[in-house]
Amino acid sequence: MNTSEASQTIHEQIVTLLPRLRRFARNLTHNPHDADDVVQIAVERALLRLDQWRRDARLDSWMFKIVRNAWIDELRSRGRRDKVFLAEEAGDHVGIESIENEATRMSVHAAMARLPEDQRVAVSLVLIEGLPYKEAAEVLEVPIGTLTSRLARGRQALQALLGDEG
Amino acid sequence: MTISDETLMAFADGELDDAARAAVELALRTDPQLAKRVAEHRALRQRIQAAYSAELSEPVPERLLSAAKRRADASGTNVVNLQDARDAMARDAIARDTARARPLRTWWGPAGSIAASLIIGLGLGYGRWHQSAPLTRNAGGALVASGQLAQGLSQQLAADGSAAAAVQIGISFLARSGDYCRTFVLSGAISPAGVACHHGQEWQILTLSQSAASGSATAGYRTAASEMSPAILQAVQELISGEPLDATAEAAARSKGWNSAR
Repeated sequence: MNTSEASQTIHEQIVTLLPRLRRFARNLTHNPHDADDVVQIAVERALLRLDQWRRDARLDSWMFKIVRNAWIDELRSRGRRDKVFLAEEAGDHVGIESIENEATRMSVHAAMARLPEDQRVAVSLVLIEGLPYKEAAEVLEVPIGTLTSRLARGRQALQALLGDEG
Repeated sequence: MTISDETLMAFADGELDDAARAAVELALRTDPQLAKRVAEHRALRQRIQAAYSAELSEPVPERLLSAAKRRADASGTNVVNLQDARDAMARDAIARDTARARPLRTWWGPAGSIAASLIIGLGLGYGRWHQSAPLTRNAGGALVASGQLAQGLSQQLAADGSAAAAVQIGISFLARSGDYCRTFVLSGAISPAGVACHHGQEWQILTLSQSAASGSATAGYRTAASEMSPAILQAVQELISGEPLDATAEAAARSKGWNSAR
């Protein structure tokens, strides 16, 4: 059965976003299994609430926000009984060209894992997911000044952790 | 003038407005320390980005792919309120504008599914007969008529619509796809109305909405099937090929089992 262009577009757009949603969710949850659970919940919620998506809004920002809210709900329902692990790595990365790249990658991931959550999420949205400040602030539902100060502190910390070798 | 590190960061990220950017550019020319700092911000950004690029080429688990492709009705959720369904209908009208002129049976969007949940989830409003058998069922992601709705669509003529009938038929027409389609209104306080098209021995429900006058209607008020809500009217206009069937053509189509020549 075919689907129409209009409905196909939204489903396909979400499929296209999945790798970024997973990446963001991992930075959010620090656990690849939680990340995938949260992405799944978010995708299901988004499809039920498509009518709440303003057509002039970016789909990625809207989805990031739903992912984040799904994670907040999850933490609330768990009552934070689970200690969040620090930077557990998924064992199935592909496309890693060399051990050297892998080492660089791991050092960045480790540095990210040491950031306080609000800074890590701000860095994740702006530097990794490439959202403009304004969009990132909307995802996090904070004023843009709060976003920029979290981002600046996060960057300073990363710079300190990673050294100056660039 | 002093330039804060936050401003340099925003400059490096391309987030400053023209005036602020010009001021930073001017300062950079005379202060190598500032220029070095901007370069550091940019290098860090690239380094972070690069460290998270492998994730994008990871295979996505099947459960997430299927969640994204799933129609909302398959999620088992039937908690939906009328306002949501109305909003979804309005949005779908927009979506259909972009899908105009596509074959009719290929359109099946999430809002249709929400409407499906509506009809399943709000059975209370439909009157005593509803409990006997569901009026719709899900067939491979499409909502098809069953029970009294299917029977009414197949058997009833527009002229048959008595106030006691569970289903009233509005107009019947041939769609551009070659299928016969009919508008209908269900009895009950909510009086959902819809468009169903006969395809592959099933009545596929393409549009479902509240009927025009039902919102503030007192209990028991029946909307005449000929009073179509804007959503239904629009759906008909998009689907129809030529004119609605007259009584003779309607009866002839029924005797052929709603199978068109095509």
